[in-house]
Amino acid sequence: MENQKLIPRLLSYKVSFTLIVFVALLVIFQIFTPGHTFFQRANLFAMARLAPDLGIVTLGVGILMICGEFDLSVVSTIPISSYVFVKLLGFGVPLWINLIVTLGVGVVIGLGNGFLVTRTRLPSFILTLGTMLFWKGLLYASSLMMPIGIRSWLPPGSWLENILVGIIGGVFPVQALWLVGFASLLAVMLHFTKFGNWIFVTGDNETAARAMGINTSAVKIMAYVGVGVLCSVVGLMQCLRIESFSPNQGVGVELKSIASAVVGGTALTGGIGSVIGIFVGTLTIQIIENGMILLGLPAFGIGTFIGAVVIMFAVLNKYISRWSSR
Amino acid sequence: MADVQSVSTGKLDDGYLVRMIGIDKYFGRVCALKGVDFRVRYNEIVSLVGDNGAGKSTLIKILSGFHTADRGEIFFEGKKVHLGSPRDAKNLGIETVYQEQALAPHVSIPRNVFMGREITKVLGIMDGRRMHAESMRTIERLGLQIKDTGAVVEALSGGQRQGVAIARVLYFKAKLVILDEPTIALSVKESQQVMAFMKQLRSEGISVVFITHNLFHAFQIAERFVVLARGELLADVDRKDSSVEHLSQLVISGHHEEK
Repeated sequence: MENQKLIPRLLSYKVSFTLIVFVALLVIFQIFTPGHTFFQRANLFAMARLAPDLGIVTLGVGILMICGEFDLSVVSTIPISSYVFVKLLGFGVPLWINLIVTLGVGVVIGLGNGFLVTRTRLPSFILTLGTMLFWKGLLYASSLMMPIGIRSWLPPGSWLENILVGIIGGVFPVQALWLVGFASLLAVMLHFTKFGNWIFVTGDNETAARAMGINTSAVKIMAYVGVGVLCSVVGLMQCLRIESFSPNQGVGVELKSIASAVVGGTALTGGIGSVIGIFVGTLTIQIIENGMILLGLPAFGIGTFIGAVVIMFAVLNKYISRWSSR
Repeated sequence: MADVQSVSTGKLDDGYLVRMIGIDKYFGRVCALKGVDFRVRYNEIVSLVGDNGAGKSTLIKILSGFHTADRGEIFFEGKKVHLGSPRDAKNLGIETVYQEQALAPHVSIPRNVFMGREITKVLGIMDGRRMHAESMRTIERLGLQIKDTGAVVEALSGGQRQGVAIARVLYFKAKLVILDEPTIALSVKESQQVMAFMKQLRSEGISVVFITHNLFHAFQIAERFVVLARGELLADVDRKDSSVEHLSQLVISGHHEEK
């Protein structure tokens, strides 16, 4: 059965190593942070509120990587979605129409990336670097890089805020539920549906997938649209949380999401990965950031440590895959 | 050939599964095939041999729908057919197994066998249990033993991988299976295994086109040999009228020997 050989199968997903590192880091940070603040409520609350930002983007980016492509334009999709949302608020557009249009921003940018990549068949790292700069340029030109607050048009306590960034019972941020919800939904999609299998085989051996009648271009375009929509959700969540559009929203997310996916065992060459891996990977990257700050290490140097972790996992993945395929 | 065209119904019932008649194919000004006839009987293993550039792959790509012929007719099960796409060929029951191109290495065996034709329950959710059972049953039918049935394809030997690819076409009820150099990267033992798969296909009533450079392999298993040279049909001989030396002479010289 598919469930047979659970352990080798888990190892082949590589998520187990990420999990071990994740748990080890939790323990280390709890022991070594001054006053053992890591597991304190305030810190957990802050993380549960912030982690979904990168987490939700990484879900999309990781699945796209399994499909064999990259997307750097996420860093533009996030602030553009936020900008469009705020602008429409200013025009007095009803909130639910605004929501649809804002998510539509992700669809449009995703379609653009998808068509560009599948038509030209050039490396998506370069193509989406191009679309990232293109969209960012448009955003900067039209916003003049000025933040815009939302409170002139949207009083606190709107339904959209409650749904996306509310805090249940005053203790639990609903964003964390969105992260878990998206992860569960995408895990079922990726690992149990026909379409999920097409994503794997498209990333693993596109020629074979095409020969078997799978429209690999459509699969990739869908994956790009997925990334775009998830970025729009994140852009919107951030906008509601910080109560404004900021042109700096999402800075760094384009590479951090790839790093998170790699830490979660996603192959840079496509065809290998899992949603649980991507999920644990993004949490790992984020607790490293958080823990380093709590440890009182210089905040500007965090990149060094994260960089080392990413390289470590990239190397580890290579050896694990040799070992587990034996 | 004249009698063929006189058949006004477009039907041709002469005991052949496939009949390609007078096939021409040009790539720009380069003539890849010129007036080639190629037939496959029911329940037959035909070996298509010839040097590189002889036109073997072009002919096969026409038969599997990847290219269309510039001229000529194709009959399948006696009916004239148009193969405009690989999908058309598959729908007729013509399946091609390309070396190394057939499988996704990091995906499990059942998911490879059912790639693009997954068995689903509701909402596109795959029936993993059935896909596993069906693929393993088909693999056993081929006479292939795989211990770790949960393994990804990368962990299998070259012969086993060919077996998985062939199991796929067997499961989906191919009538004609085209194997493009299936033994090229394999050890002696694995090559024998793959040839045993071909025999198994034939015993299931499936015709096989075996493309190879290895005339010993061809001679060991095929009943008939079709030799191409520079895009033209050089010979179409039964095994009893031929020998490895004879075939190799034809392939190397590209001419009929003068007697």
